[in-house]
Amino acid sequence: MTLKTLTKPWEPMSYGFLDGSAKREIRRKMIKAIAVPGCQMPYASREVPMARGWGTGGLQVSLTLVNPSMRVKVIDQGADDSVNAASIRRFIARVAGTPTTMDTLDADLIQSRHRIPEEVLREDQVLVLQVPNPEPLRPVQPNMSIARQMHADADYGRMWLQLYEQIVRSGRVMQGASYPSLVHGRHVMTPSPIPRWDVPKLHMAKHLTILSAGREKRIFAVPPFTRVEPLVFSDVPYRVEEHAELTCHRSGTRGFFMNEIPQDNGTSTFEVSDSEWGVKSIRRRDGEDVALGETWYKNGKMSS
Amino acid sequence: MAYVATRGGERAIEQSQRLFKAEMGTITPERVAEIRAAMPYLIDRVMGEASLYDEDLAALALAQTGGELYEAVLLLRAWRTTQPRIAVAEPVTQGALFTHRRISAAFKDIPGGQVLGPTLDYAHRILATEVLDGQTNSPEPVEAAAKPSPAQQPSVAAWQAENGLLSGAVSDTLTGNDIPDVTREPLLFPAKRAHTLQSLARAETGGVLALGYAAQRGYGQAHPTVNELRLAEAEVVVTHPRGTQFSAGRVKVSQAEVVSKKGEQLELGFSATLGWNEVKVIAAATLDLNSKGAPKGSATEEEFFLYHTEGVESSGFCIHFKLPHYVTFQSSLDAMRDAKAKKAAKEKSPELAE
Repeated sequence: MTLKTLTKPWEPMSYGFLDGSAKREIRRKMIKAIAVPGCQMPYASREVPMARGWGTGGLQVSLTLVNPSMRVKVIDQGADDSVNAASIRRFIARVAGTPTTMDTLDADLIQSRHRIPEEVLREDQVLVLQVPNPEPLRPVQPNMSIARQMHADADYGRMWLQLYEQIVRSGRVMQGASYPSLVHGRHVMTPSPIPRWDVPKLHMAKHLTILSAGREKRIFAVPPFTRVEPLVFSDVPYRVEEHAELTCHRSGTRGFFMNEIPQDNGTSTFEVSDSEWGVKSIRRRDGEDVALGETWYKNGKMSS
Repeated sequence: MAYVATRGGERAIEQSQRLFKAEMGTITPERVAEIRAAMPYLIDRVMGEASLYDEDLAALALAQTGGELYEAVLLLRAWRTTQPRIAVAEPVTQGALFTHRRISAAFKDIPGGQVLGPTLDYAHRILATEVLDGQTNSPEPVEAAAKPSPAQQPSVAAWQAENGLLSGAVSDTLTGNDIPDVTREPLLFPAKRAHTLQSLARAETGGVLALGYAAQRGYGQAHPTVNELRLAEAEVVVTHPRGTQFSAGRVKVSQAEVVSKKGEQLELGFSATLGWNEVKVIAAATLDLNSKGAPKGSATEEEFFLYHTEGVESSGFCIHFKLPHYVTFQSSLDAMRDAKAKKAAKEKSPELAE
């Protein structure tokens, strides 16, 4: 036996950047995460050529899932052209040779920071959400070891108490994004900092959602057709952002999640947050033959 | 099509990187070699935090990032992650270290002797401004001692254990690939001993110092005495597939033992890292010393200090706040405005608002 027989010819980089052992670990953890929906699975989380907190968790999952024929879409805060989304998209294409797209309907894999596209995702699509903080219990219990025990015991009393206190103090639940949700009736998870508008899209969805936190080294998942229920009291219904009546000033599309753009005269205008939906709406308006997919929200209302 | 025309992300990224690089000019092999030769302690710090021992790569990372330390360490860590693990070296023992400097604050003299070695500890910190006026500043030649100190020395803790002052560390029987590796498995708590020492070895110097100093200043339970501080070189002994053992080279290492009185025994805190970095190992050993039985959530609790001294994670998270957060912000605004409107309505007509 010589060293030569034990090695392969030197290559500067593995396919998809991560080496085989890293990908194998992530695959195993993804399977575990799918088997126990909403439960956080620790993983080693390799360092990648991007700073922690910039989508390294989502990136590792994407790099593990892609093959050269998968079409990849990357969004940040709803926009495909946001600089960090452009950077991640370019990196995946560079190290994995994948085709890229901005159209939700054409994508096989969508890596997203803090939004779920407005068009309904299909069974054959995978959504990878970047997660800054995987622990919904962090506001009530910053210690990870104790929080882990609380999940094991389904000890969510302090979560409920926190929501109750908000209602008493402010007259409503004050949670903005990252609304804590019960998955498959067992684990409370953070849906990542998606707006409340997007959380109902996860409930009994046809697609698989993988959530991955690179810095905090946790993977969790919402398998297809799984219950995702925001924590609410029976007499205080869940409320999404009041964007149902807003109209995008650029595309004219209405009844979707909007970005508020402050104006010099003290007022605001709005533009649709899902940038590609906006682009397609403009092209359709201008007479192009553009396919618009079915949307989760119709006339500003979530269709069940 | 106005929407599409505004899509300048890729170009903006490219130009911003050009701007950053323009300031540093051309990176030449000579520049990298000069950094390596002129900044050994900076190289050591970067290699320790990257947990990658390669002086050339560390110098290159510094050149490429213009000395932005967090970026340099991230570059090296990202490179490291792509490298295969060819072999696991034999454990390095204290007695086998080729020692350059070794001091103890616990005893006036110690078996093997105090060896001052290279240090600025007793230097007067005066800037050599004459260099800026065109003069050179060359080191005076070192005069060898009449009797050279031994190259290898036992640890002070070993003497203390022999004398019943300290219960010696329980030796770990795991070898080779069975040794837990924090870069290939998640850090969970209570942490494996190997994970704790590895995490401290690659922790960010400033972070370890901040928390270690907090413990030293009074937020820890134990006051450290520096039992032994050592700067040394260690042989990296690996086994060839044929079965023969050989040294693949030497690496610079630092290690610190700190002790504190606990009842009738001394308690030991330990830390070691790649490269020579005294502040880091003393602070890290202080944290190790204080971690046993530390209250949950205190700065000397293992989970607290291991998470918060991880430089790549902490710096990355800190700078990620520069990313747009307008969706999250919009969601909070919505809740705030609604709560405010509810409150205003209630004040106007209290009975109606219920």
